Amino acid sequence: MIALAAFRVAAYVRSHRVYQALLAILALLAILHGSRAPRGLEAAALTDSAALIIPFLAWAARSLLDTEPDRQRELSATLAGGRRRELAAGLLAALAACVAFDALALGWGLLLGVSATPQGAELAAVLALHALAILTGLALGALTSRAILPSPAVSIMALVGGFLAMLMVSASPLHWLSVPVTAWMRAANSGLLADRLPALAAASLAWCLIGLAAYAWLRRTRP
Amino acid sequence: MRLTNVSFRYRRRDQSVIRDVNAQASPGDVIELTGVNGAGKSTLLRLLAGLLTPTSGTIADRPAVVGLAPDRFPTEQPFTVARYLDHMARVRGGARWRPWAERLTMQHLLDVRLGELSKGSAHKVGLAQALMGEPGLLLLDEPFAGLDADTRDALPPIVADLSARGVVVVASDHQGGLRCLPSLRHWSLTGGLLTEPAAPAEPVQETRPVTVEVTVPAGEVGAFLGRMRAEGYAARELSEETR
Repeated sequence: MIALAAFRVAAYVRSHRVYQALLAILALLAILHGSRAPRGLEAAALTDSAALIIPFLAWAARSLLDTEPDRQRELSATLAGGRRRELAAGLLAALAACVAFDALALGWGLLLGVSATPQGAELAAVLALHALAILTGLALGALTSRAILPSPAVSIMALVGGFLAMLMVSASPLHWLSVPVTAWMRAANSGLLADRLPALAAASLAWCLIGLAAYAWLRRTRP
Repeated sequence: MRLTNVSFRYRRRDQSVIRDVNAQASPGDVIELTGVNGAGKSTLLRLLAGLLTPTSGTIADRPAVVGLAPDRFPTEQPFTVARYLDHMARVRGGARWRPWAERLTMQHLLDVRLGELSKGSAHKVGLAQALMGEPGLLLLDEPFAGLDADTRDALPPIVADLSARGVVVVASDHQGGLRCLPSLRHWSLTGGLLTEPAAPAEPVQETRPVTVEVTVPAGEVGAFLGRMRAEGYAARELSEETR
């Protein structure tokens, strides 16, 4: 499975598709952290970057999963010993790409986006939200990949629409019906991130796992 | 490997592509799968490979290691042949592919990018990745399509060797390239139904002489007649009057 994940990451990098997401993320970070956040608003700035990087991570995950031709996906499944291993290897490769991009975003934010590094529970909460952003991007990207949505137009509309729906639903009182990204930002802006993190993280994690489970279930009939 | 009442359809409202198939393959069997275009041969191969799950019925005792050579190898990948096969060998758990590259006469292709391969050369890469790693079940989708004469000749002995080692080989083949193998079994797929007709009788050697007409450039008539006579045929140039 590791070898197949490495093959897919290699294909993603060698095909130069990696630069699509990289350039977009660099542009986002340049705008987002154009000026350092003042003291006291470090967590808010870093939480904003966790929320806003989600569609870019989803794009990276989708792009990585779509690099492999459909026929090669079948060959990979037979070589790896089954469809489940192929599916897991694809998700692992996409996760690796998302982790790399998010590490870039988090590193940029900590070095150039804030006046002081947050400490203790605040830093742990920011790290947790970035981990949840990675999982959210992975799930959204996987659900909009070609194996699930063969039409590129429908797929990219679903990706952007999915993120916008996530923002709108999470801005409403029914924010628990989606990954509550807007609630993340509100909690960070009001200085209550550490207190509200358990509830926000539980809802976010649950939706990520539901999304990944849906992807695995849909792939049963879409090799 | 045993197929019991296997049916398959792609969507709930679609007709079944494969209907109620019952079949069995024992170690060492070489099976030629035939049927018209769209009969469901590739679908049956994907079911045998475990890539598709039967809508009903079961496929039992499938060998653990399966090799699949597709009818069209996906060349839209950013690797050279050698780098691609290295990756696939690692996915297969460290399998060796170079001996297969040698038998398939593809050493000269190793540094060529996949996207630059001809159809036949790409087909060889598909065969090499399927053959590596000691598969117990080898599935070949149109294995002779686009191959050069040397590789066409090399493939039946490879299949015979694998069969002797107990590998089950199922080949969807329009060209009858494996019919030189004496123990070849035949599966015929018609309208989703699989039948196993009796092996065709050996063709009777036709000895009755017939006359054929061949058109060759005027300057090559002498050489052509010489070649034909050397092979034992009664060849003569027609006179102007009889033309």
